[in-house]
Amino acid sequence: MNRGRRFPWVVFLIIPIIVFLAIFFLIPYANMVYMSFLVKPETGAYLKVFTLGNYARALGDTFYWKVLRQTFWYSLVTTAVTLVAGYPLAYHIARAPKRWRGLFLIMLISPLLVSIIVRSFGWMILLGKVGIINTLVKRYGGPELPLMYNAFGVVVGLVHIYLPFMALSIAGALQTISPDIERAARSLGATPWRAFWRITWRLSLPGVFAGTLLVFVLAVSSYVIPILLGGNNVLVMPIVIVQMLLDAFNWPLGSALSMVLFGGTVALLWLYVKLMNQALRWTTR
Amino acid sequence: MASITLRDLTKRFDALVAVDRLNLEIQEGELITLLGPSGCGKTTTLRMIGGFESPNEGDIFFGERAVTWLQPELRNIGIVFQNYALFPHMTVRENVAFGLEMRREVGARVRQRVAAILSKVQLVGMESRYPHQLSGGQQQRVALARALVVNPAVLLLDEPLANLDAKLREEMRFYIRHLQREFGITTIYVTHDQAEAMVLADRIALMKDGRLQQLGSAEDIYRRPSNAWVAEFIGLSNLIRGTVAGRRDGALSVRTAAGVFSCAGEDAAGEVVICVRPESLRFGQEHPNRLRGVVRERVFLGNLLDYQIEGPDGLRLRVQADPSRVFAPGTSVDVSFSPADAWVMRAEAR
Amino acid sequence: MDHPVRRPQRNGWALSVVVGLLYVFLLTPIVIVILSAFNAGDYLRFPPQGFSLRWFVRFTESESFVRAFEFSLRLAVYVTLASTVLGTMGALFIVRYARRVRDTLRLLLIAPLQFPAILTGIALLIFFYATGIGTRGMRPLFIGHTLVTIPYVFLTVSTVLVTFDRSLEEAARSLGAGPFRAFWRITLPIIKGGIISGALFAFITSFDQFPISLLLISVGNTTLPIALFDYLRFSFEPTAAAVSTLSVLLSVGIVVVIQRLVGLESIYWGGPR
Repeated sequence: MNRGRRFPWVVFLIIPIIVFLAIFFLIPYANMVYMSFLVKPETGAYLKVFTLGNYARALGDTFYWKVLRQTFWYSLVTTAVTLVAGYPLAYHIARAPKRWRGLFLIMLISPLLVSIIVRSFGWMILLGKVGIINTLVKRYGGPELPLMYNAFGVVVGLVHIYLPFMALSIAGALQTISPDIERAARSLGATPWRAFWRITWRLSLPGVFAGTLLVFVLAVSSYVIPILLGGNNVLVMPIVIVQMLLDAFNWPLGSALSMVLFGGTVALLWLYVKLMNQALRWTTR
Repeated sequence: MASITLRDLTKRFDALVAVDRLNLEIQEGELITLLGPSGCGKTTTLRMIGGFESPNEGDIFFGERAVTWLQPELRNIGIVFQNYALFPHMTVRENVAFGLEMRREVGARVRQRVAAILSKVQLVGMESRYPHQLSGGQQQRVALARALVVNPAVLLLDEPLANLDAKLREEMRFYIRHLQREFGITTIYVTHDQAEAMVLADRIALMKDGRLQQLGSAEDIYRRPSNAWVAEFIGLSNLIRGTVAGRRDGALSVRTAAGVFSCAGEDAAGEVVICVRPESLRFGQEHPNRLRGVVRERVFLGNLLDYQIEGPDGLRLRVQADPSRVFAPGTSVDVSFSPADAWVMRAEAR
Repeated sequence: MDHPVRRPQRNGWALSVVVGLLYVFLLTPIVIVILSAFNAGDYLRFPPQGFSLRWFVRFTESESFVRAFEFSLRLAVYVTLASTVLGTMGALFIVRYARRVRDTLRLLLIAPLQFPAILTGIALLIFFYATGIGTRGMRPLFIGHTLVTIPYVFLTVSTVLVTFDRSLEEAARSLGAGPFRAFWRITLPIIKGGIISGALFAFITSFDQFPISLLLISVGNTTLPIALFDYLRFSFEPTAAAVSTLSVLLSVGIVVVIQRLVGLESIYWGGPR
């Protein structure tokens, strides 16, 4: 018999936030899916008429496929570069003496807390035709380097934004690996490189995994960098979608394209997860 | 001050029964220990008495007052945790005064009472310190002072000495006992350390798997354990399995593989276990219960010699005797014990 | 193996060089922007043509920038208040009371971070129009920003709550404090570091937020990042640098405060497991 059970007033702690998230997060996303099946009229944003036409266009038109491919290409390149650059950063922080770690963390994290606009702006100053790098190069007689309004500028910008995420992910995993393990390998005769590759790298794979996943997902949805540093020469899905929504006022197609982007990303991730699990299984044999 | 009554107290965590129909009566002013191995339900019981867990079934009474569902802040209790739980952002004075503050006491009276209790626990001069500036023992005493200053009806202690080193623990045992006697508060003390329980308690409540195995004074439990598990938990024991063969001359006759022995105990029948403490086994034939064995091991403990004897049918006996006579390993010896020292009990724990 | 085990310091220097270059890479753009803000010259040239504050003056004269700055500030304050309260309440419930639904709830609260902000912005835009709320005024921006800042508060508060010693509260309860008083006098002072750093994260995130603002702004209600963005697409004046510098100073200041309070490590790695 459970008489006198006290009423769980505490549930009121969570109700406001759940209601808020349900109304302004879950429903809008569901609504967007719904929107992707509606018709775009001559005037106005949408009509409540069911159609599969948007998906037909999104998946049928080679233009959108090209943009999608490009988007994924940029994300892959960014992920790869941040992995190569992020690992040393992560290793350094994880192995840094406690006193210094805070300082390095601040250096790593503070760019994240500066607006993406400001950081893009900085790259524009550096990479532009009359920017700092080109001014220096030209002063010493070199040619004008096309560093901006192209793929190079966009990748540099993306790497700059997402490098801390990768580094922190990997550092988190590295922190759990005691340096004694490396020392043990060394004492058994392994060179530093082999000790790293066979032991540390493999043990840090979960962090690498998480980091690459994270950076890829973030890079796929980036808008500011491609627009500011790519100009009209770089077209990625987010740009196309925003144009569709704000300029062409075609919400159904915009929603469908968002779904396609989302779906494509999920598909690639699923593949990646499978591959990674396979790889992890090999390393722990 | 209040007496405490637990009636059919039960607490379940999903499939696990942590406390199983516990019945206990604690007298006013008594210090009772809840003793048992980890997982026996002693801490859960304490938390239910404090109001930090709600029982699934059963009742708790402070005196005549049913407090089963009452919130902790209304039960007028004092509690000392294993980690002391001193408020780290408050000074010693603020910590101790907190309970008084909750009772709307202010000003000079509070200062007085805080000063008085701090002098009682010998922490005068520490009022402005913060917990992290105190040693373990000092933090302990602040925790005690904080709990006692509000004159609670019931004092609850959850393994308060577990984090102190051995020497300090011994000192503090007597200290707590002394304080408790002085204040006369009904106290429940949870511990897994039997030595501690025996030093501190008026009575010991021995628990296993959520059930009360035995309730009694230290001597009661030691000399007359209610079952084999209790016998093994408290002190060293020799357990001999056997069957009751009847009563003879007022003593229970028990047939075992090592012989038929005359024992003491309540009326029992069927499969039983005899408990003989190592110090009750004597070399020689002076007592009626006799058997013959071979010394296998001998350890010098300073004031005692600790022997392992192998008796008939592979029975292993542990004997502790004074060093006046020494038997080398391999020697055949006679061992005997009196019926009064052979206590018959049930084999299974409750 | 015959060769002696080399001490880590030997190949440590190569790592240090690489890492040093990487940090330069990370910080240079920001430093450049700040330097340009003080550049006396008209164009963003290198080397700088003298020290000057004229771009900061230009900023204060630019009505649109000042209005955007003030708007972003006000918005960030409201958003911080809302997400701090909601996030803290959510963290309290999830860390302490939710047993069976804990993981689901946690996923839900962090979800806004997992979905691309631009998609969230799109979904909100469509939703606001469909429901007639529209995108006028601060309200839609407030909702969108709160959505993406709550997870930060939730994470930082959860971290301190998980390591918070419940027996402190129980001791307070035993001494006569009811649940609210125990929370107010004992729990809150001890976890306030987590709450404040979550709030500061929320503030910065809202102030610097771009994708959601892009989709939810309306005429006359621009946030500072959007104003900067529009400006940068068509002009290249150092005024933008001055505005950016002020923004950076704000962020840096906040980071320092956070580090002082709780240490950045605990926030990022100590996320609830």
